[in-house]
Amino acid sequence: MSIGGLFSRIGRSEAASGLAMISPPAIYAILLLAAPLVTILLYSFLTDGYLEIIRQFTLCNYFGPCGTYKMVEGELVQQAQFKGAWSDPLFLTVMLRSLYVSLGVTIATVFLSFPVAYFVSFHVEPSKKSLWLFLITIPFWTSYLIRVFLWKVILGYNGVINSALLGLGIIDEPLQVINYNVGAVIVTLAHAYAPFAILPIFVALEKIDRSLLEAGQDLGESSFTTFLRVTLPLAMPGVVAAVLIVFIPTIGDFVTPQLVGGPEGRLVANLIQLQYLKLDNYPLGSAMAVSAMAVVTAVSLCFLFLNRRFLRGPQS
Amino acid sequence: MTEKPTMPGPTMIEFRDVQKYYGDYHALRGITAEIRAGEFFSLLGPSGCGKTTLLRTIAGFESISSGVVLIDGKDMAQVPANQRPTNMVFQSYAIFPHLTVAENVGFGLRREAGSREDKARRVTEALEMVGLKGYGARAAHALSGGQRQRVALARALILKPKVLLLDEPLSALDKKMRENMQVELIKLQRQVGITFILVTHDQEEALVMSDRIAVMFEGQIAQLDDPETLYRRPKTRQVADFIGTMNFLPAEVAAQTNEGYSVDVAGLGRCEITEAQAPGAPTGGPASVGFRPETLTILYEGQTTSDRVSEGTVEEVVYYGDMTYYDVKLDGIDTPVRLSMRNLPGRPVLDIRTRTRVSWSPGALVLFR
Amino acid sequence: MKGGTGFRIYAMVYLVFLYAPIVLLPMFAFNNGIIIAFPLQGFTTQWFAALLDDPPLHDAVRNSLIIAVSVSILSTTLGVFAARASTRFNFPFKGPLMGLIMLPLVLPEIIVAVSLLVVLLGLGVSLNILTVILGHVLVCTPFCIAILTSAFQSLDRSLEEAAYDLGETPLSTFRLIILPLVMPGIVSALLISFTISLDEFIIAFFLAGTQATLPVYIFSQFRFPQAVPVIMALGTILVCLSILLLSIAEFFRRRGLARSGAKDTGGFL
Repeated sequence: MSIGGLFSRIGRSEAASGLAMISPPAIYAILLLAAPLVTILLYSFLTDGYLEIIRQFTLCNYFGPCGTYKMVEGELVQQAQFKGAWSDPLFLTVMLRSLYVSLGVTIATVFLSFPVAYFVSFHVEPSKKSLWLFLITIPFWTSYLIRVFLWKVILGYNGVINSALLGLGIIDEPLQVINYNVGAVIVTLAHAYAPFAILPIFVALEKIDRSLLEAGQDLGESSFTTFLRVTLPLAMPGVVAAVLIVFIPTIGDFVTPQLVGGPEGRLVANLIQLQYLKLDNYPLGSAMAVSAMAVVTAVSLCFLFLNRRFLRGPQS
Repeated sequence: MTEKPTMPGPTMIEFRDVQKYYGDYHALRGITAEIRAGEFFSLLGPSGCGKTTLLRTIAGFESISSGVVLIDGKDMAQVPANQRPTNMVFQSYAIFPHLTVAENVGFGLRREAGSREDKARRVTEALEMVGLKGYGARAAHALSGGQRQRVALARALILKPKVLLLDEPLSALDKKMRENMQVELIKLQRQVGITFILVTHDQEEALVMSDRIAVMFEGQIAQLDDPETLYRRPKTRQVADFIGTMNFLPAEVAAQTNEGYSVDVAGLGRCEITEAQAPGAPTGGPASVGFRPETLTILYEGQTTSDRVSEGTVEEVVYYGDMTYYDVKLDGIDTPVRLSMRNLPGRPVLDIRTRTRVSWSPGALVLFR
Repeated sequence: MKGGTGFRIYAMVYLVFLYAPIVLLPMFAFNNGIIIAFPLQGFTTQWFAALLDDPPLHDAVRNSLIIAVSVSILSTTLGVFAARASTRFNFPFKGPLMGLIMLPLVLPEIIVAVSLLVVLLGLGVSLNILTVILGHVLVCTPFCIAILTSAFQSLDRSLEEAAYDLGETPLSTFRLIILPLVMPGIVSALLISFTISLDEFIIAFFLAGTQATLPVYIFSQFRFPQAVPVIMALGTILVCLSILLLSIAEFFRRRGLARSGAKDTGGFL
């Protein structure tokens, strides 16, 4: 019984007690998260067989022409041909588009959210802060699919906006710029991830010692320059967290592009889903997933590096 | 003020060369000491000196790296905290916030035999003892600091432990409340007659409350004595400095005599010092002497004394109401010495730069290595 | 602080943006028309009535409830272990282990889904409710840990020592002191993980096999325009249920803070 390790006095050391206590969730995560992640990494270097995986190392899922093979009398016989992810113009186009969408969503979400977080932290009475946070978080937890679908309804050709504008006589023909494109995807995702951006920024703003702002003004800064020179730098850890927590997951969304993106709005997650569920090409799907994660990680690390001066020092 | 005769009881707690390491950090460096039954004992020292660690080794919350801890003659090495005959009052009081006052006080009775009525009676008695009669049904989280302290005391004492451990129990209270509780704790200890071990960093608190005090620095006991000896005859400059204020002057041991030492003190001349005034047992050569501010007296116009007299100039005056502290630069000494005078009628407070005579006695000096 | 009016207006507009889809939902759920567009066609409850007569939907609801209940219990249990370990002990590999456990918070769900899919199929496990539970526990546990960590953090360590000092064993100390004090956090974690699991689509879509969950069923219905009003009705019920559960969770979270006397730092995350 790991609870038995409560007091180091009765036998075990603190390290052993801690490890015993962490072991159930840690073992769960190692078996069902770390091991599977390693597995797709391995799969991405294996050869696709017909409904099976052939254990033969290859890089062709990433680069160059690749194929699906079948073992016939001990020999590999090529059944079908496809291009490795990075040699496939379609993948490159979609990957680039995904990056563009994720960056767009991140920038839109963080810029739109910052004033809200600032408002709740600096202008709302302390007793009402948790009510505001609760109001902001609620939509995030409620029926993701239906929310996305409703954006399709709102932005669609016969959607709420168009029918309302037509009904009011402002336009004669439904607007097409707002539906089934990348823009619609960005709006929908920005909506979905709003609380994710607000909360970390809010937490960072809450930590700022209010007397620092008074000190800034006391030293001759205006309230705007105080914001730029004191508040914003101190809030940066929260902004960085918000950026990462929005940017990374958005790359994996395939529902939003499928429902509101139209044919030109498909993203890399749609391709991955296609490989796994429709084409059963696990090695190529794995290579795409690994590639997408690598790109996201690289961008995130660059971003962290650029903001490193805000992340130093005591943050806790 | 509450100087009690030391009760020489049998030994209740014994430390034999207790060592404690946290990784590389050497927290307790060979503690050897005895605490007697029925004694009010204090562990005094600056933060980080190991006093709380030592207390927690008695309670059983800290294991020791080597050495022996005996309680009532029994080796505690294999006895876990929940089976030791000790109970603790925590610095934060650790009142269970989800229970009532009575449930808190009666918490330890859960495992004891006895009828429900009997236990309820004991809780009532314990509450009465700490002056919280009728508070049993209150929610614990609604109590004031002083009341929490009393609940913590009642909760620990209800189990009739052999030793009550108090970890800085008064540090969270304001000054007035702290002074009241000091007196109450002393009374309570006399009433129940069990060993109290108090951890504190407040030297005044330790002097007021304790039968004996162990002063600790850096994991070691620097001196273990009753309050008066500790104050008047500190063994080292470090102890002297920690307990109250002491002036130090460089000195040289000129000769060892039958009664003690002949010492040349800078600016004061040759002084004869008894063996008892040198508890640190100097060996000769460079040394220093110390004296408390109250052992120096300003001589007003026309006053005479049989003590020795030095002259000097007042450099600083600090007025405290009942007392005045003066920093006086005595002729022939570089650094000013601090002295304190009661503000009695007919004793005007002197101004800065006044020339004055100061009387002192070699019998009040302490000789340090 | 002065000059808050502009911010207040902006925040209000932002809330309208956040709530716009949720407000539209009941409008179309009670709208007497197949097409989801303005102007509204009049009031009806027929879409709600249609929910009662839809066996595949009922199967999906049953699957989702089984999954959500199991997930909330499992992930809260794992969360208790992790939160207790991280707030009370120092141990080797603490950072990497906690990082791994919390990773699903930022990892795209599709990555979690496909990696689990690959491993489960590779092991020859057939996809069903159980596999969805495995995946959901992975994504719900970090949220539970976040909630429970703040509950465990506000526990004064000397409370445990006091109980132990008064003769209790570590186990009875946990039962008598720790558990009651973190109970609001546990209830809150149970409700939050239940809500997340009930709503989760991507992992369920990959791992459910033939046993569709509610979101998987809803997604399949989007292809049929005539089914959409019924989905609106269903969505209305789900949103109301979510808000109810979240309000209860928030209530317990705040009560827990009030009880331990800690300061409210707001929010679930």
